[in-house]
Amino acid sequence: MTGLALPRRDVFKAGLATGAAAMLPAGIAAAQQTTIPRNQTLILIKNGGRDGRWVDYALWNPYSIGSNHQNGPNIICEPLAYYSAFADKWYMWLAESYQFTPDFRQLTIKTRQGVKWSDGTPFSAEDVAYTFNALRDLGPKVKWGVDVNQALDEATVTDPNTVVLKFKIPSPRFFFFVTYKYDIGVYIVPKHIFQGQDWTSFKHFDIGKGWPVTTGPWKVVDATLSQKIFERRDAWWAAEQKLAPMPQIRRSIWLPNTGEQQTAQAMITNESDTAYDMLPASFPTMFRGNPKIITHTGQKPPYGYVDWWPLSLYVNNEMAPFDNRNVRWALSYYIDRNQIVEVGFLGASQVSALPMPPYKPLLPYFDAVKDLLAKYNTLEFDPKKGDALLTDAGFRKQNGKWTGPDGKPLTLEIISAPLGTFGPAIGPVVSEMLRRHGVEASLTLPPDFNDRFQKGQYAGSIYGHGGSIREPYDTLRLYQGKSIAVPGAHLVNFSRWKNPDFDKIVDEVYVTDPQNVEKLKDLFHAAMEIWLPDLPDIQLVQNHHRIPMNTTYWKNWPTADNPYINGASWHLTFPLVMWNLQPA
Amino acid sequence: MHAIYIVRRFLVFLVIVWLAATLNFFLPKLSGQDPVRTKLLEEASLGGYVHAGIEDMVKVYQKRFGLDKPLWRQYLTYIDDVAHGDLNYSIANYPRTVVGMIGEALPWTVGLLGLTTLFSFAAGTVLGALLAWPGAPRWMRWLMPPLWALHAIPFFLLGLVLMWLFAFQFQWLPIFGGYSAGANPALTWTFVFDILRHAVLPALSIVLVSVGGWALAMRGMMVTTMGEDYVTFAEAKGLRSSTIFTRYCMRNAILPQTTGLALALGTILSGAVLVEAIFGYPGIGALLFQAIEENDFFLIQGIVFTVIVALGFATFLLDICYPWLDPRISYHRT
Amino acid sequence: MFRYLRRNTSLVVGIVLLGILVIFMVVGALMVDTSNAQPLSVPALQAPSWDYPFGTDRQGRDLLAVMVAGTPLTLRIGFIAGILGVGIGAVLAFTAAYYGGIVDTVIRSIADIGLTIPGLLVLIIIAVSLKGSLTVDQMAIVVASLAWLSPTRTIRSQVLTLRGRGYVEIARLNGMSGPEIIFGELMPNLLPYLAATLVSSVSAAILASVGLEVLGLGPVEAPDLGMTLYWVFFNAAIINGWWWWWTAPLVVIVLVFLGLFFLTVGLDEIANPRLRRAV
Repeated sequence: MTGLALPRRDVFKAGLATGAAAMLPAGIAAAQQTTIPRNQTLILIKNGGRDGRWVDYALWNPYSIGSNHQNGPNIICEPLAYYSAFADKWYMWLAESYQFTPDFRQLTIKTRQGVKWSDGTPFSAEDVAYTFNALRDLGPKVKWGVDVNQALDEATVTDPNTVVLKFKIPSPRFFFFVTYKYDIGVYIVPKHIFQGQDWTSFKHFDIGKGWPVTTGPWKVVDATLSQKIFERRDAWWAAEQKLAPMPQIRRSIWLPNTGEQQTAQAMITNESDTAYDMLPASFPTMFRGNPKIITHTGQKPPYGYVDWWPLSLYVNNEMAPFDNRNVRWALSYYIDRNQIVEVGFLGASQVSALPMPPYKPLLPYFDAVKDLLAKYNTLEFDPKKGDALLTDAGFRKQNGKWTGPDGKPLTLEIISAPLGTFGPAIGPVVSEMLRRHGVEASLTLPPDFNDRFQKGQYAGSIYGHGGSIREPYDTLRLYQGKSIAVPGAHLVNFSRWKNPDFDKIVDEVYVTDPQNVEKLKDLFHAAMEIWLPDLPDIQLVQNHHRIPMNTTYWKNWPTADNPYINGASWHLTFPLVMWNLQPA
Repeated sequence: MHAIYIVRRFLVFLVIVWLAATLNFFLPKLSGQDPVRTKLLEEASLGGYVHAGIEDMVKVYQKRFGLDKPLWRQYLTYIDDVAHGDLNYSIANYPRTVVGMIGEALPWTVGLLGLTTLFSFAAGTVLGALLAWPGAPRWMRWLMPPLWALHAIPFFLLGLVLMWLFAFQFQWLPIFGGYSAGANPALTWTFVFDILRHAVLPALSIVLVSVGGWALAMRGMMVTTMGEDYVTFAEAKGLRSSTIFTRYCMRNAILPQTTGLALALGTILSGAVLVEAIFGYPGIGALLFQAIEENDFFLIQGIVFTVIVALGFATFLLDICYPWLDPRISYHRT
Repeated sequence: MFRYLRRNTSLVVGIVLLGILVIFMVVGALMVDTSNAQPLSVPALQAPSWDYPFGTDRQGRDLLAVMVAGTPLTLRIGFIAGILGVGIGAVLAFTAAYYGGIVDTVIRSIADIGLTIPGLLVLIIIAVSLKGSLTVDQMAIVVASLAWLSPTRTIRSQVLTLRGRGYVEIARLNGMSGPEIIFGELMPNLLPYLAATLVSSVSAAILASVGLEVLGLGPVEAPDLGMTLYWVFFNAAIINGWWWWWTAPLVVIVLVFLGLFFLTVGLDEIANPRLRRAV
């Protein structure tokens, strides 16, 4: 019991616990490790568990069906490289360097020397080649399989520290794809363990054998329904090679979420050091209860950082009357985005003019279209302009309601996801604003929202954009004609807007070197000259991750003043936070 | 005769099981939703990214879940699986099985509901009997209006008030969950104490409401019984009033009360689902709430099926116990 | 009449409570601008004040207006489902009780088996299976799909006791047909009983609909009582100290249930005077 180093509120309970520990069955007692003080322990509550339980505690192979890198494999499997969009900084990791051929049909990766897996086997280019070739062969059966399969022809090892990837098509973004950032990146697995296993069902979990095997500084010492416990390995190649400091954290306990209120309570009582994305309203409550709690923006709104996923009011561009750009712009003029921020998010948000986040590497592209945005102001709230556009489009207003040229009322059924914080939070606000200006809008949160949205069985929807974080290609691709009805949740043209000229520009962006910012800026401007007057979907607000961080035991959390990375414990970059934290 | 009665009752129980399974199978099919695809897309949207191969992945999953076969084959497979106690995998929590997840949640619900139901039944019965007894203290009459008022409130609304009062205002008791975050679920005093503290509010919201119901029903029964001739006769014989009260009135009034218990189980359980959901109590109700949120069809089906079967079985047991409890009911009558 | 009412206090209490609600709804509809039951109408999250006696919610709805607009919606669900349930139930019950035999066995078995199944769970399966969100009226129909079980069972047993009475036998001997006996002789004698069944069915239907709505399976934009509570839970109003947000719907719901409960008890007493001593 006491071995868990959890805070006990009073001596009485501690006494009971010690007494009870003597009666514990041997099996449970054996699982307890040496005592590590609370101030060397990092405790976090994760959203991954369901109903207060870990469902995937035995799954440490992130490719197996049912496992999720967000729940622990993200600190076990090290990547070829990390990328911090906040700092616009690369951390070359298991890869020392990489080089594309000029036609982007071949990629040579040099791997680090002197790296060992935790069972003593040396890490080498063989592991990298094995991972990629296996993903290519597995295809749709596992995560990332399709992406690798589409691009990769063959990965070959030319010497123990060099692997050469031959592509089927030019793939200038392949290395960025495999790099860890947010939730995207390819996990490199140990060939000597995974070879011969069925990746979809192999668990990679046996604490007695030292599994999961890792190159990182964390080993799994206990994983059960109620907690996952990691302890520091004192031999870590990256600290030896001075790429990173040895983490100060000696033990980390990951607990499953049992509910918003419970988590707020645990943060207040210092039983937890950080948690997941919480509701805006919970933050003032937590600050009142524990002044040591901070967020990315201190104790001020929006209590978090901008996620890569700006929210829009989507309308189906294949459906009349929303195939008419005047109607789309009219809807845009009817929406007061400040009210969405104030009422929908209690002030904890900000408006979004373009469907991508204002991240440092993307700012030049925002600047590049300043002139266009001045002309086509996607944030403007002006019902009169909206009225004029609808009148032009042949609509008439009777008794405060718009009727189309065909005599039918202008209706818009908005659907959004029942799960998640955005639909229920801002959906009613958006639909009410449209109703006030004569559009018969309504909101529903159907259980099969994702299916309907993806198949285009919708008129309106509130959803985000999974596009760019570093350069504009991914966001532009969201509006390419060929991305319509591509299955998936991101990189999909949900608005079903089509323009052949726009498509051509995007194809040109694809074969442009991502480092060639000047050329990309010109292309982006050209693309937006087509996109903005048409306004395929109506821009609303940025999406935020609001994560509480407790400075009672740990400091140097990533914040707006110190934005070395985003603070999400579920993202692939969380190891950076873990080696940056310092005892308070 | 006993055997025939029991067999007949058991057949009714089997029909309930079959009906529940069939309903469970066909209702979701009517909607034309594709649970696997919906699930995968939802996971994808939460996880931040999904690759283009989702259609293929849907096929792989559908095969795994047996959804690629014709409907009648699916139905037969389903009935066969159900007969073997296999309720498939949870879609949202693959590779966990529905049976496994229900198995974890069931003890919480059985514990909470079993204890609260028995306690409120016993307390309500005694209270109701006392309310009808002329010899009871006068102040007990004042208990009636609050009991009536409580009885008319849904469990979960009372839970809301209790939660606000004791967990938020006074902070005496935890607001959520079955045990503290980070507590080590082992058989220790700390943990048992922790569990009890978390159970107080959900239990209170069930007990306070249902005590009123049982008390009112019992009181009604008592008043009727006290008017019976044999009671008058007992009085005339000069028996002590407490003897008449316990031996003659209560004993006869308690029988219909027990019948009521069987009928009430379903209602109590429906109410408890909501109580668990709002308190985040890790039982069947909260699990169902999660399953609804995650649109996990198999888990929803599994829970509904399990609950129906469990209640059907409880009713079956009560049914075969009645004749034994009350000699006036013969096995022939039904 | 007055003297009878003095004896039947339950009926009086029920009528008074429901009367208060009706007055609240009628006066409210006249005095309060119900368009304020929509989001963005008033400043968000205001505690009760002179301007907003019930306070306002997170989306900027005036909770007084929400109650005025939402209470009738909730009652509407209850009445639609209750009337459908008792209607279907009565037809089935009369058919079963009058014709007896195999018809009776089938109907009785279905009702008996159906009643052992926890209704809310079946309603959840139905609601989840339906595509998209429900409207208020669809919600009522979903609830009605199970609301006939209990009336069928209770009305049937009531009809059975009447069927054996002398006047029914005489009517039959006089050559009256089945439907004639049902409508001419049985119905009038059962009216108070049917009324009591109706009221308790309405109450049960409201309970079921509020339950579904709290679980997030209701009409998202309707300002009815169950959806108001859904938003209370969604926004964790308890831990954030917004007590007024749930106080108003709570009080109204309790009033509704208490009123309906006492009305049922009172009507039962009319239907079955023998019970009078008991309650």
